[in-house]
Amino acid sequence: MYSRIFFRQLLLSLGLVLGWVRNVGADSVPIPHGKIELVAETGSIQPGHSFCVGLNFHLESGWHIYWINPGDAGEPPRLTWRLPAGISTKPIEWPVPTALPAFSDMDFGYQNQVLLLVPMMASAGVKAAPADIAADVKLIVCREVCIPGKAQVALSLPVTNRAAAPNLSVRELFDAARKQLPRSSPTVWKFKAASQKDSFRLTGTVGHPTTKAFFFPLEPSQIENAAPQTVQPTKGGFAMTLKKSEQLLKPIRDLKGVLLLGDRAYAITVPVQ
Amino acid sequence: MKRSILYSGTAFLIAVFLLPKLMQAARVGDTAPDFTATASDGRTYHLSDYKGKFVVLEWHNNGCPYTRKHYESGNMQRLQKEWTARGVVWFTVISSAPNTQGYVTASEENGYLAKMQAAPTAALLDPSGPLGHLYGAKTTPHMFIINPQGQLIYDGAIDDRATTDLSDVNGATNYVTVALQEAMAGKPVSTPATRPYGCSVKYGN
Repeated sequence: MYSRIFFRQLLLSLGLVLGWVRNVGADSVPIPHGKIELVAETGSIQPGHSFCVGLNFHLESGWHIYWINPGDAGEPPRLTWRLPAGISTKPIEWPVPTALPAFSDMDFGYQNQVLLLVPMMASAGVKAAPADIAADVKLIVCREVCIPGKAQVALSLPVTNRAAAPNLSVRELFDAARKQLPRSSPTVWKFKAASQKDSFRLTGTVGHPTTKAFFFPLEPSQIENAAPQTVQPTKGGFAMTLKKSEQLLKPIRDLKGVLLLGDRAYAITVPVQ
Repeated sequence: MKRSILYSGTAFLIAVFLLPKLMQAARVGDTAPDFTATASDGRTYHLSDYKGKFVVLEWHNNGCPYTRKHYESGNMQRLQKEWTARGVVWFTVISSAPNTQGYVTASEENGYLAKMQAAPTAALLDPSGPLGHLYGAKTTPHMFIINPQGQLIYDGAIDDRATTDLSDVNGATNYVTVALQEAMAGKPVSTPATRPYGCSVKYGN
């Protein structure tokens, strides 16, 4: 098993060195109860332009990794990049997670498959040689129990002065992940948050009555993650009750998070009155 | 008849599945709720017997990688020894239900305490979870501190490095140490609540 992986790694390294293999991200690396691969959206990098890579997770049934706010347990994957001079990363773009009950807790994370998007920038002066992009990944994979893991992922992209062509083999993967990214809410929508004794009342005017709303908090210790979120329809939207976190001792300025409405996610920051 | 079964069935479901989530656990500043629990040493402990002392509650699961970080590095044992030597009562609490990770019999726990050279005042066995739910323990570890007046003064993580890496113990700000030092010096606790980090407490239904 290990020797086979080693052999593949060896072949791959040899391929990269000799320039046979370009843009190979498709080689997956094992993690506890799953595998990951680093993939690039384009087949090359153009100096002075941004590009995007993604960390693609596949998990065995029942196992999950975590969102940027993991909820009650666990922690998000942590990436340490190793990049050539002139290439820099921006923060991870996290698709909307799933609420995953675990015992009396509520975790926020991903099951089965997820692509974490990482936008990157190539400076105008980036060297015209294959760019080796690599990351050390630390993560924890949980089901009823949690298993920490580490992995190293890498890919190599040629640097050329032509506009980068899309890597067609991963287009659907990136498109699907982008659809799951929280977007800004339409400006005509209005949100309000009021602090009550043990809860926050979040109301939204979103153009139609709905009960299909769920709020994922971005800040820890604002709301009690596992408490049921009661949602009532209003004339133009919804009113939702979010129980305050047991670790919340002071008033908060904003309720900040991702609102899932039906199957669309919106990033919202709502001042608390 | 049928209806009353339905009602009592519904009440049962509410009690079993919703009560822990709806129940208001103690918040920092509140009086810490009293409890009675049996420890692995066979003795019964009442919180009310420890008025006048600082009491630390440490939620524990010996298989959880976050707990293991603090035991395999010796950090938790060091804290237990340091603070019990200064008169603090330290209860390790195990709320893992039977057949879940971290569940132990009394003798298994005594073996673990000896092997790890752990030094809590006692390890409280809470396999059906009432103590965990009473305090709203979410993770292992999850730490609570009660002052000599019986008031909850800290609720949250053991430190500020929410990872499983042993190397993160050094250099972390240990919230329990800071809170005990401040409270013993008669100062208010500067960080009285944080997001506890770790594995879910393996409560039974």
